[in-house]
Amino acid sequence: MSTATGYNFAYLDEQSKRMIRRAILKGVAIPGYQVPFGGREMPLPHGWGTGGMQVTASVIGETDKLKVIDQGADDTTNAVSIRRFFAHTAGVETTEQTADATLIQTRHRIPERPLQADQILIYQVPIPEPLRFIEPRESETRKMHALSEYGAMQVKLYEDVARFGHIATSYDYPVMVNNRYMMDPSPIPKFDNPKMSMMPALQLFGAGFEKRIYAVPPFTQVESLDFDDHPFEVQSWDEACAICGSDHSFLDEVITDDNGSKMFVCSDTDYCRERVEQGFVGTAADLPIADLSIAEVETN
Amino acid sequence: MYVAVKGGEKAIDNAHALMRTQRRGDTAIAELSVDQIRQQLPLAVDRVMNEGSVYDPELAALALKQASGDAVEAIFLLRAYRTTLPRFGYSEPLDTEQMQIERRISGTFKDLPGGQILGSTYDYTHRLLDFSLLAAGEAEVAPEEANALSEALAAGNSCPRVLELLNREGLIEQSRESGQDDQVPRDLTREPVNYPAERAVRLQNLIRGDEGFLLSLSYASMRGYGDSHPFSGEMRTGRVSVELVPEELGFPIEVGEVLLTESEMVNQFHGSKDLPPQFTRGYGIAFGRAERKAMSVALVERALRAEELGEEVLYPTQDQEFVLSHTDCVSANGFVSHLKLPHYVDFQSELEMIRRLRKEQGARTESTTQKEADA
Amino acid sequence: MAVSSHELIAGFADPVQASQQVFRAALKVMSEPGTRVEVDYVEQAPKGLDLSTWQLALSLLDPDTRVWLSPTLASSDAVISNLRFHCQCPLVEFPKDADFAIALNTELPQLAELNWGSAEYPDRSTTLVVQVPALSAEPFWTLSGPGIEHTRSLRIAGLPDAFRAELIKSRQRFPLGIDTFWCCDNRLTALPRTTKIEPRTTAIEPLNTEQEAC
Repeated sequence: MSTATGYNFAYLDEQSKRMIRRAILKGVAIPGYQVPFGGREMPLPHGWGTGGMQVTASVIGETDKLKVIDQGADDTTNAVSIRRFFAHTAGVETTEQTADATLIQTRHRIPERPLQADQILIYQVPIPEPLRFIEPRESETRKMHALSEYGAMQVKLYEDVARFGHIATSYDYPVMVNNRYMMDPSPIPKFDNPKMSMMPALQLFGAGFEKRIYAVPPFTQVESLDFDDHPFEVQSWDEACAICGSDHSFLDEVITDDNGSKMFVCSDTDYCRERVEQGFVGTAADLPIADLSIAEVETN
Repeated sequence: MYVAVKGGEKAIDNAHALMRTQRRGDTAIAELSVDQIRQQLPLAVDRVMNEGSVYDPELAALALKQASGDAVEAIFLLRAYRTTLPRFGYSEPLDTEQMQIERRISGTFKDLPGGQILGSTYDYTHRLLDFSLLAAGEAEVAPEEANALSEALAAGNSCPRVLELLNREGLIEQSRESGQDDQVPRDLTREPVNYPAERAVRLQNLIRGDEGFLLSLSYASMRGYGDSHPFSGEMRTGRVSVELVPEELGFPIEVGEVLLTESEMVNQFHGSKDLPPQFTRGYGIAFGRAERKAMSVALVERALRAEELGEEVLYPTQDQEFVLSHTDCVSANGFVSHLKLPHYVDFQSELEMIRRLRKEQGARTESTTQKEADA
Repeated sequence: MAVSSHELIAGFADPVQASQQVFRAALKVMSEPGTRVEVDYVEQAPKGLDLSTWQLALSLLDPDTRVWLSPTLASSDAVISNLRFHCQCPLVEFPKDADFAIALNTELPQLAELNWGSAEYPDRSTTLVVQVPALSAEPFWTLSGPGIEHTRSLRIAGLPDAFRAELIKSRQRFPLGIDTFWCCDNRLTALPRTTKIEPRTTAIEPLNTEQEAC
């Protein structure tokens, strides 16, 4: 039992953890394939990270250091809530620094700082089936995966090209893993897709209410779907981060007044902090708003 | 504002403190006790037990109190507690023929062995607000004879189910092939559902399903979106004992009793080459006094048997994947409400995309206009 | 066979943390095939099982996993009693019914006898756990595939030629396949079905494997 909670270490009972651990091992052995598992009810709503949490609860141990991000930030409410859950039920150390973390649970982003061997990145996944909006039936999509029949997705992407001149999917952009399974990378921006390929860290994906776990082992090929004449490309901004001046990170647009004035800041708050500490500055560095946004330190 | 999304830690603490204050309401008014909820809002308690999948009126009442009366939130609380409970064993199948009946209604026979028993019901109340309840008056006491009758019934003997009467004449399908043993049902809280799902799994799913959703689906199936033309063969409510066979004893012992409502629907079925015409069944059961739920389950359950009975699957009410994937109020609520979570990054990606597309389209239009002007 | 109490030994001293640590070791080797890790959360294993096999069993097996044992293990009172007592896993007679098959290197089932899963559910396959006399990084097999940046060397001693050939060939049936753990004393490695195996040399491995340390 963990400290004072009356629940097992990391909330889940041991038998549930074993079941999830076995599913994770199969997921790792078949990269990109969605392993059905007996998803448990968690004390947070489905869609709020219960899949990622079940994976984290099954993987985490006393010596781990956990980082939780939502939209790239450690301080968004849901990230705070999940981090607290594990601090409370597992008594583990938490961190906001990407470099320090052994486990990172994330919603919608991959940190800007490249991940290292022996780190584990755990994605929260709402809908694990990349083909779901093409074919809503599980019995059908399962056959499509079995036969590697992915033409329907190519058609869907090509319809975009015909209509807009581009593939118009900007996040949740489908990938092929190890040249075999089409996989939903979770709703990360396509900006993050290239980071998935040949990443030294292990990537685990948990979908709570769809009860699926999947994985990308370290150093595994992950390719974003595209066409020869319309190659995959990532977002870019004309602006740089107003706080740290970064012109190569994913930027959040922030409306600063009633007239719709805006500025752009790094979505990855830890990366931005690291750069400011290294002496990088952006155009808004002298504004109090910038100080506030990065100087807010978690008071635990 | 950017600053507004920071300081999440403190914001969450404050939000929870506010919620607790709001839940308590005016402190000049006496606090509601869990016992009061259990005794005086029993139908709400029953719903929470059904969809929460735990037979424990006290915990269900506690969940309702903690959730400010929000049934879905209370169900969620009970579910999350349920997950952490160890399994001591599995009960023997319940025998509802041995039910101590408090209410029993058949829509198919005017009279029958065991009789029609109206019991306690809202059915024939005229829905006029009873303003005497506004004033804190004495509770109305049921007449002696009603009490005496219900006690006599509760102590009564077993009462065969209506569908068994039809079964003896061979007019209704067997609930299982003769000579076939009961199959040990899978536990859908331990294993994911695979499609097509067997009947036991479908029933478990429906019984845990959202009452409103099932009610609407059964309504749709009766209105023609599904091939459901049922009679209510029987609906019965009462207590049934729960038995368990402990490993070390090897014979069943009674571990308690549960209050249940069971609904059996009779549906027409035209038979086939191999089968003479016979009625088919739709089955529903629920904890407590939950007639709406039990009947809805029975109706939807029957609609979902379309495929196994060789009927054409034309409507969502007959579509296993459609129905079973969307019954769960905890999942549905979670997914709908997750839109409240930040989606800055995805939205930013879409913003970037739409701005780029508009810019390109603008450029195209401009060059076309220019060409036309040149021409 | 019932549980023989005189054969029972202690499991993990701290089951929650030790199970987690052994799982992480298993996850490490399964996601980085051919890497070798040591696990040291028990002092002894039931007679006939290596320390790493026993710890893997304590960490991953339970009433939901059907287990097949190769003949020597299946006839060992110590092995069966401890698996029954600590893991409560049902034991099955045929490898194809097993979620986990545990075998000595001299008693390997044919891969075809195991459950390979189906095209729709390739995860429903048997995981094979093999006890071998030696595991090393000697350049004997060259591994590549997911989890391996370039290549990795591995030598697993004591495998019959026919089995090795079968294992190498099984890669053609991906995504169907058999995932394997290899145990030797307190060491553990894994080869999932994705790992391509190139024999570095055609030389026949030394016959005298029993005397090698692992």
